[in-house]
Amino acid sequence: MDMRTAIIATLTWGLVTGVAMVKSGLTESMAVLMTVLVYAGSAQLTALPLIASGAPLWLVFAAGFIVNVRFIIFGAALHPFFRHLPWPRRLALGYFTTDTSFVLFLPRFGDAKIRGTREQLWYFLGVIAPGWIAWQTSSMVGIVLGARVPTEWALDFAAVLALLAITIPLVKTRPMVLSVIAAGAVAWVGQLLPLRLGLLLAVLVGVTVGLLAERALGRPRL
Amino acid sequence: MDTYVVIAIVLLFLCSVICRAGYMLFGDYLPLSESVRRALRFAPAAALTAIIVPEVLPWSAQTGPAFDYRLIAAIVSILVFQWTRSAVMVIVSGMVALWTLMWAIG
Repeated sequence: MDMRTAIIATLTWGLVTGVAMVKSGLTESMAVLMTVLVYAGSAQLTALPLIASGAPLWLVFAAGFIVNVRFIIFGAALHPFFRHLPWPRRLALGYFTTDTSFVLFLPRFGDAKIRGTREQLWYFLGVIAPGWIAWQTSSMVGIVLGARVPTEWALDFAAVLALLAITIPLVKTRPMVLSVIAAGAVAWVGQLLPLRLGLLLAVLVGVTVGLLAERALGRPRL
Repeated sequence: MDTYVVIAIVLLFLCSVICRAGYMLFGDYLPLSESVRRALRFAPAAALTAIIVPEVLPWSAQTGPAFDYRLIAAIVSILVFQWTRSAVMVIVSGMVALWTLMWAIG
């Protein structure tokens, strides 16, 4: 992925998320607050149906956390490059880390012999700053559009499709396929449980099945 | 309603800060074992799937499992992704499929 692709992806995502926030019932001011503070498309899109159905707040937090768990792994990979910096800067660099900035940064510097150079820091800043601007701009456009587009256009479905678009590329190995099928089946039946608890149950089953499948099959590629 | 939404947004903000900056801040004290890493790899896809499934395969306690055009639209968009490998095309083809179904069958 190059910078141009990353920006186009970010713009599309931001636009869809902006529309989805308003279409799921958030007021425009709440949508703006959400996009500025949370700055995490998949967590926002995940939380929207939960918020719309009035799910308990701890479940909103748990769902957002689980979807964001990948950033813990990204953080572990990025930490060696920035560990020499004072903590406020590490806090800021961490908060502004996105999928695309990680995907642009790591292939470029993953094998670097010296970690923590000025070049690496400036490259990372050069990736996260335009990413933030692109995201916030397109989200705001989406929020304005979302408030003006009729509900019959079913544009909220674009948010589901956007989630689908990040989920499919994750499913590359056979254990991952089995994990996702198990999670999907539990999530389908789990709709009968109160408080959208089916979500948590689906994640637990998905992770368990994935680990068991990996143990049984090794880690073959599809 | 507004207080609930504001608290939800603040909690999601905390999710972003904890997950993204947590390791940057405390990485020197947080060794992440290989088995934990392996388990964590499965969590995001499972959670995303669990959010998507009820949107395309609704099932309510009163009316039982229901069919929705969104399921077909989602399948179309998955096939289009396999063909084009483009995230934008997933959104475009899924919306076009849904609109076509709604227009043709009503």
